[in-house]
Amino acid sequence: MGKLGFIKILVIAGEAGRVTRRYPFKPETLVSEDFRGRIEFDETKCIGCGACVNACPPNALELVDKGDGTLLLKYFIGRCIFCWRCIDVCPTGAITGTRDFELATNDVSDLYEVVVHERAECSECGGKYSTIRQKEYVVEAVPITESYIDKCPDCRKNKLLRALERRRGGVYE
Amino acid sequence: MSKFLKKSIWVFHLNTGSCNACDIEILDVLTPYFDAERFGVKLVASPRHADALLMTGPVTLEALPKVINAIEATPRPRILIAMGSCSVGGGIWHDTYSTIGGVRELLKILKEREIEVDHVYYIPGCPIRPEAIIYAIGLIKGLVEKKISSKVKKAVRRTSG
Repeated sequence: MGKLGFIKILVIAGEAGRVTRRYPFKPETLVSEDFRGRIEFDETKCIGCGACVNACPPNALELVDKGDGTLLLKYFIGRCIFCWRCIDVCPTGAITGTRDFELATNDVSDLYEVVVHERAECSECGGKYSTIRQKEYVVEAVPITESYIDKCPDCRKNKLLRALERRRGGVYE
Repeated sequence: MSKFLKKSIWVFHLNTGSCNACDIEILDVLTPYFDAERFGVKLVASPRHADALLMTGPVTLEALPKVINAIEATPRPRILIAMGSCSVGGGIWHDTYSTIGGVRELLKILKEREIEVDHVYYIPGCPIRPEAIIYAIGLIKGLVEKKISSKVKKAVRRTSG
């Protein structure tokens, strides 16, 4: 490169123009349509079935039983790998994906999202099982379940066993 | 945000056992397309010259003593920037035998050994987008507002009783 070599570079730079993004000073659409970002819960649709918890590879979604009649669906964005498998498996379509990538924070508690569910109470033993929203969902889909849905799975099992015992002439308590 | 963060942030890239995806994104931020150097961000070769440590990876047990040495070598006031899902919450490795599971466990260990970290920033993403890193730089320097906050939603029941 001689004395006037920089002119060549000026020509190349002129052809290329300005490539640097002006973000964050100017709002720009930086991400494509296919970009997967943070997920969002619709609390009116979520039934607390735990299908997303089963599907989540890094356990970013967790179901926590608080023991006081509430069931928490916890979403920790800091562990999420944005695979969107939870969206695929959700039976009610309560989870929607966003294109949101601006998630940086200086407080780790900002990265939690919680959906609070009420647990259903068994009419026979008073134990807690499932959630009220899941009960409603099942009755809506299959109305015949209404006769036994207010009992917990254990009580339902015992009822069947007792019925079988009666049929076979066994001892009925 | 404190006063010292307004100057140019020199960063040391600290890989603690990541898969190199986040590391490639950090290099991508330094290219002319995103150009982090317009904010004064510069990669330096030693933690002794750095203001901030860019931590990627879930901190493997093998890397832990070296990570602690690097943090100790950084002059006060020091910033720790946890980048990527592995670093923030342990990611897919949060409960494996060979990692401690992210920056939160690391901070507990640092507290035990009485090594202070002045500021900690968290950037989730797998891998982190270059734009997310630019946004985090803006957040550290006070150019943009924090957009995320914790949410507690209550599920709505349709029937009563």
